[in-house]
This record gives sequence, C-alpha cells and structure tokens, in this order.
Amino acid sequence: MTGLREKVEGGKRAGGRIRIMLPLGTAGAWLRRAGVSGQILSLIIVIAIFAIGTRGRFLSPANLQVILSLAAIPTIIAVGVHQVVVLGGIDLSVEGVVALCVVFVGLLLRNKFNANDVGLWILPITLGLGGVAGFVSGICNTKLRIPSFIGTLGMSWILWGLAVFVSRGQTVALLDTRFQELVTGTVFGIPLIALIALALVVFLQIIQDRTRFGRYLYAIGGDEVLARQAGVNVTRIKIVVFTLAGFFYGLAALFLSTRLGSSQAITGNNLLFPAVTAVAVGGVALTGGIGGAKNAALGALIVTALNDGLILLNVNPYAQEAVNGVVLVAAVALTIDRRKLGFIK
Amino acid sequence: MTTEKKEPMFELRGITKSYPGVVALDAVDFVVSPNEIIGLVGENGAGKSTLMKILIGLVQPDAGTLTLRGRSVTLKDPADAMRYGIGMVFQDGSLVPNLSIMENLFLCHEIGFRKFGFLSRRAMRETARGMLERVMVSEDQDTRIAEVTPAVRQMVEIARLLWLSRLYGQANPILILDEPTTVLTEGERDTLFAILQSIKKEASIILISHRLQEVVENSDRIVILKDGRNVTEMPASGAQITDIEQQMVGHAFTADRYLEDEQIVPDDEEKVLEVQGLAKRGAFEPISFFVRKGEIVSLVGLVGSGKEEVCRCVNGLAKADAGTVILGGKKLTPGSPSDAVASGQGHIPIDRRSEGLALGMTVAENVNLLVLARLRSGLLVSPARERNNATQWIEECRIKTPSAGTLCANLSGGNQQKTVIAKWLSSQVKLLVLDHPTRGVDVGAKDDIYRLVRKLARQGIGMLVMCDTLEEDLGLGNRMLVMKDGRLVGELDCPPKRKPSPKDVIGLIV
Repeated sequence: MTGLREKVEGGKRAGGRIRIMLPLGTAGAWLRRAGVSGQILSLIIVIAIFAIGTRGRFLSPANLQVILSLAAIPTIIAVGVHQVVVLGGIDLSVEGVVALCVVFVGLLLRNKFNANDVGLWILPITLGLGGVAGFVSGICNTKLRIPSFIGTLGMSWILWGLAVFVSRGQTVALLDTRFQELVTGTVFGIPLIALIALALVVFLQIIQDRTRFGRYLYAIGGDEVLARQAGVNVTRIKIVVFTLAGFFYGLAALFLSTRLGSSQAITGNNLLFPAVTAVAVGGVALTGGIGGAKNAALGALIVTALNDGLILLNVNPYAQEAVNGVVLVAAVALTIDRRKLGFIK
Repeated sequence: MTTEKKEPMFELRGITKSYPGVVALDAVDFVVSPNEIIGLVGENGAGKSTLMKILIGLVQPDAGTLTLRGRSVTLKDPADAMRYGIGMVFQDGSLVPNLSIMENLFLCHEIGFRKFGFLSRRAMRETARGMLERVMVSEDQDTRIAEVTPAVRQMVEIARLLWLSRLYGQANPILILDEPTTVLTEGERDTLFAILQSIKKEASIILISHRLQEVVENSDRIVILKDGRNVTEMPASGAQITDIEQQMVGHAFTADRYLEDEQIVPDDEEKVLEVQGLAKRGAFEPISFFVRKGEIVSLVGLVGSGKEEVCRCVNGLAKADAGTVILGGKKLTPGSPSDAVASGQGHIPIDRRSEGLALGMTVAENVNLLVLARLRSGLLVSPARERNNATQWIEECRIKTPSAGTLCANLSGGNQQKTVIAKWLSSQVKLLVLDHPTRGVDVGAKDDIYRLVRKLARQGIGMLVMCDTLEEDLGLGNRMLVMKDGRLVGELDCPPKRKPSPKDVIGLIV
C-alpha cells in the first residue's frame, strides 16, 4: 500500500498555499486543520510590534476596547462578504446596500425629519431590506448568469443612487437612542457590539462546519460542476449566500447609523475595501472553497488593530491607506491557491 | 471464470442510440452477471462511452430495453441509476478537491448522520472508517482530496459508490470504471486490481481500458464493441491480445506493427543531442548519452528510475544540478524551456490536455502556433498562408477533423495527439521528446502515430521516447537506454528484425 500513501508529486504542490507549521503539538494540529494559524500569528506579530512601538499604550484596556468596538462592524460586513468569496464569487454591493439601509433607518426610526417611528421594528426592516438586496444579487448571479463581480458592482451603484434619491442627500438626526445605547454599551468592559459580532461569527462557523448547507457551500467553492453532479442544489445555495450577506450588511447599516446618531447615504462609503481586505487577510482564498467565518473575523481584527496602531504611532493618514493596500495585496499573494489558477486574468 | 451459467443481473437488449449524423449504438446487447468483472474494449468512437452513459442514466436510448434484477427499468439520471446501485468512476474524477476524504464520501447524502439538526462527525467517521478499510485507504479521513494521489481518489470514489448502493439497499451494485489505470503507477495498478477482485465478491464491475493486457489479466469476460455494434465477447482466460486487437480494428495487423522496415540507420557523425554528466540530486546520478540525427532512442525504467526527471532536465522543465545539455551544437541554458524550444527542441507531453494543446483554440491555430513568424507576409500573419500550412499538416498527419477551424477540445484523444505532433513537425524541430505518445489513444490511432514517428525520423529529427509498453519501446527505438535507481544501467542496440526480446530487457529494468 505504499503506493497509495505517496503524496502528490512535489511539482504539483509548488505554488500551493503556504502553511505555517507551529510547534504546538495537538493545539498546533488543531490550528492547522482550522486554517487560522497564519492569521493568529499575524495578529500576534501586529500586536507585538505596536505594543513595543507605542511603549505599551497599544495594550491599554482603553485602547483594546476601542479596537474591539471598531472591529465589530467590519467583522459583520466581512462575514457577509466572505461566504460569497468561498463560493468563488465576490460581493461588491456592500456600500450601496448599507447606504440604502442607513437612509431607511433615518426615515423610519424616530427622527427630526418626519413623523415615522417604527421603534424596534427597525431591526427586521433593515435586515429584510438588506436581505432583499442580497436576494436580487443572487438572482442576477444564478438566474441571469451575470458574473458576481459585475452584478454586485452594478447593484452597489443602483442602491447608492436610490439611497441618495430617497434621502435627497440630506442628513437626518435620529431621536431614538435605544440602539445607540446597545451599540456603545459594554459588558464586563467588553463592548456589547463586539460580543454581538462574536456571537454571529460563532453561529455561522457552526453552521459552516456542521450542517449540510456548510458542506455544500464548500463543495461549490471547490468545484461547482462536481458539486452539481453530486446533487447539490447550487442555485439555491448561492441565492441563500447572497441573501445572508445582505442580512449582514443590513445589520451593519443599523449599527453604523445608530452609533452616529444620524443617517446619511454617505455612511456607506469606504466600507468595501476594509471588508475585502479583512476577507483576504483572514485567509479566505479568493479562488473559493477555503476559509470560514472565523477567518473573516480574524482578518477584520488584524486590519482594525493595524489601523489603530498606525493612528497611535501618528502615521500620516495617507500613508495608512497605502499600508492597507500593501496588506491586501500581500495577503492575497500569501493565501491564494495557485493550483486552481491556470493563469491570472 | 466459473463455468456455471449465472442469472443475469442487468440486461440491456437491442440498445440503439443515434445522434445527428451518427449511429452511436446499433442494437447492442450487454449483459452484466453478479460477481463478475467485464472488460469492455473498443476503439475510440466504438460506442463504449455512449453505452456507459446509458447504463448510468446520463443518456436515454432511442430503442431497446433495460432489465435490472428481472424488472424492466428506465434510468432517468445518474442519481436515479445510483438508487438502483449503478455508479461510475469517471476518468476525470468527481470528488471536490477542497473537501476532505470523509466529506466527499457522504456529499449530498449526509441526512442519515443528522443529530438535532447538526451533522454528527463521530457517526460519519465511524462509517467512513469501515468503508475506507475495504478499499485499503489508510489516509487520514480529514485529508483534503487535493492532497492525495489519484490512486487514493479513485479508491474513495469506489468507496462512495459502494456506500451509496448500501444506503439504497442494493445488493451487488454495478461499478463502472472508465480507464482507471491511466493515472496510476504500476504498484498502484496492482493494488487497484487486488481491491477489485475482493469487491467482486459483492459487486459487478465493468472495466473500460485501452490497456488490453490488464483487461485480459483481470476480467472474467471481455466484450468488444466496434462502430456501435457488438462484435463478439469471450472469456478472458486464454484470450489473445492480438486477437482482441484485430476484432477491435476489424482487420489483421501486419507483423511489422512498429514499421521496423522503415527504421533508418542514423548517420554516425551528426549528434542532435548530447547530454554530458547531467545530474540532479535525489533524482538521478550523473548520466551521459547522445541522440543522433534521425535516431529514435527509447528510455526505459520503472517509475522512480529517474527517466522522467532526465527528460524534464533535457527539455528545461526542471533544472539539473550539474552537467550540460547540448542541442545541435548549442549549449542549453539549464531550466529554461523557452531556450530549449528556441534551440529546436520539441516536447510531446504525457498530459496533452494540460500541456500539449490549447484546447480552446482551433486545430489550425495549434498547428501554426510555433511558426507564425514563417507565415507572415509583411508585418502581419497572412491568413492564406496560415490556412495552407494547417491544411498541409492536417493531411500529412491524417488528423481526423471536420475542418481546420474545429476546436481541439472536440477531437478524440488520438487526433489531439496527432495535432501536437503536427505542431512540432511544422516547426522543424531537431529533437523531439515523446513522453508516452500513445497513452489513452486507441489502436487505430496508435498505428498512425507509429507511422508519424517513422516519418519524423526520416526527416532527420532525433527522438527521445518513453513508451507505455516495453514492446513499443523496443519496436520503435534504434537504441534503448535502461535506467534503474537513477543510474544508466544498460544500452541495447535494436536493429530492425533483430530486436532484443522484452525478456532480455526486463532483467535489467527490475
């Protein structure tokens, strides 16, 4: 049986994913299998560098609190995006979906602009709105067979236009502060919003690991044709994934606008880049099939910690943006599964 | 082979299927008995794959009856066929690469493992262990399919089919294996057949293969198809390969299969390739040899003897640690395939689909790929010259294609291989490295390829070949180099009509 044990020839593996071996025994084995060892290592390195660079200020409880609360919303968005990436697609509709949801939060929650007050109903409404947007993206991708790159980019601009049109470009101040309290509150010193994000990540990770939906998600990401042959309802899974992503964007929109205490379409801007960076940094392969919710969350945490540290070090804000760009490209270079790519288009 | 008549498991009678312009199957009968291995052979286009597609419900026959376990059935699709216990291991494999062995085993049939809405890993692991033991897979169940050998993948697929038929309560499932051994090493091949013999106790197996030797050795009964019709069937014990080949092609072969009469005596002086002290650590020891103009040198040895690595170093796909490769008097840059090609070296790879051909391009585009500079008129490539060059080589190499504008993806394996050869022929190479040129090619196309190889030699092209069988190596070569454990252990002359016999060589190889 030695023949069967031989691993695939070295040549075929060259250029594959880079594996970081940690000498940690069973814990190391678990980390390798979970596929987050590299991310945890990166996080430790980032923390160590800034802890030294800021002479410990980076590790102060106040700053850690800031990092956790800042990381929460990018995490929620990244978790939405990453499942589409696992499928082998990409979702660029984040900014449009969030803009529209934010505008509706402003118009429906008690505000200074009109007499509406839906109260706590705003939660299902924004989730629903985001979900519908995601559902439409899913239909575009599966039924109209439009590549997700184009379909969701178009969706983003459509919804952004709609958001500005509906809000007439105005900023609406919110009067209902219940969500604001939720978003800014803490439990044992940990920001509540971070706990909510964590709960979502854990929930989704269990779904991915232990349900048929999760299994099929990865099967499609690995090889869509083979998954279809095995009997996976590819269309349904894809639509569900896009819709779920929409739910996450809707939730993020609600938290974003209530934290600000006001609603304006522009809140949606500059959300896509951190989310995509988080997904890539977290080790979700852009070729699909690899990486889970935990990866997206760790990615968001790394990116947030990095930016926070740069601010503490008083790095020029434009230089910070450049650093983010470098991080994105480097992360993709390290995680991409080149075996699957014959050539890069 | 038992002599008693077995009750048939699955009976296909008068199966007819026609596609626009072709009758793929013409009143074919096919019977599967319990606990037997059927070898199904025939040339490409003989109707084997259509018949198999009907067996697994991928294609519906125009006429004919299917009787399974005494009852008439129609198979709507592969999932339906699986419910009746009929499954197929495809040539390209049907496992998802990023999922683990265990996850692939149960993909889409996990429902039985659900506990409180979640999948119970422990139960899955238990079942998987049992299934994998039967096919002798010792890999960790959590290994991703992308990381295991083709042999293990095949075993996992077989295990999956066995498990599914058990899930559907079907005793004696029918497993169809399409060219299972093309991706296996010799040791793995033996393992596969050992496993198949043990599975046979509870299943019927249909084995499709171009390697008649293994069909004769491992099946109980051989069914031969030609041009969509049953030709004959025979018990495998005592069957003669030459006899089977004749039945497949429909005419007898000349004794001179490898066209030894056309073997030329190379000019002693002119060496196209000179390899001096080439060495690569862990792969082979320093080795020196040469190939003369118009000479065919076959390189033989077991897998692991280092012959593949030597060829990779010669054509620049791998970088040797020491030594030089001189092509037509010019020293090649080590590890540079583009330098090798520019200096006049051609390479016909084993995997023509991924390395030899651009499948999405037309036959003409592939043939002209390397000679575009010659086909220019002024600054631009002239369409007329392109067309002429392509047509000339299509005729010369007898590429069976509807037109020069047909996509290579739509050609049969043999014709794809001829297209690769035509490409090099047209580019006027000095040396060709042929890596298993007849692999996966049917008998008729093989003869065309032998003819082309002789023609290449007449044009003065030196060749380094590694063939599928020792007979082929001996038959084609002027000279044979034998490698063992990374060393050159022998050199034999193979003059026409006085070739050494395989028996003489095998002692050197092992």
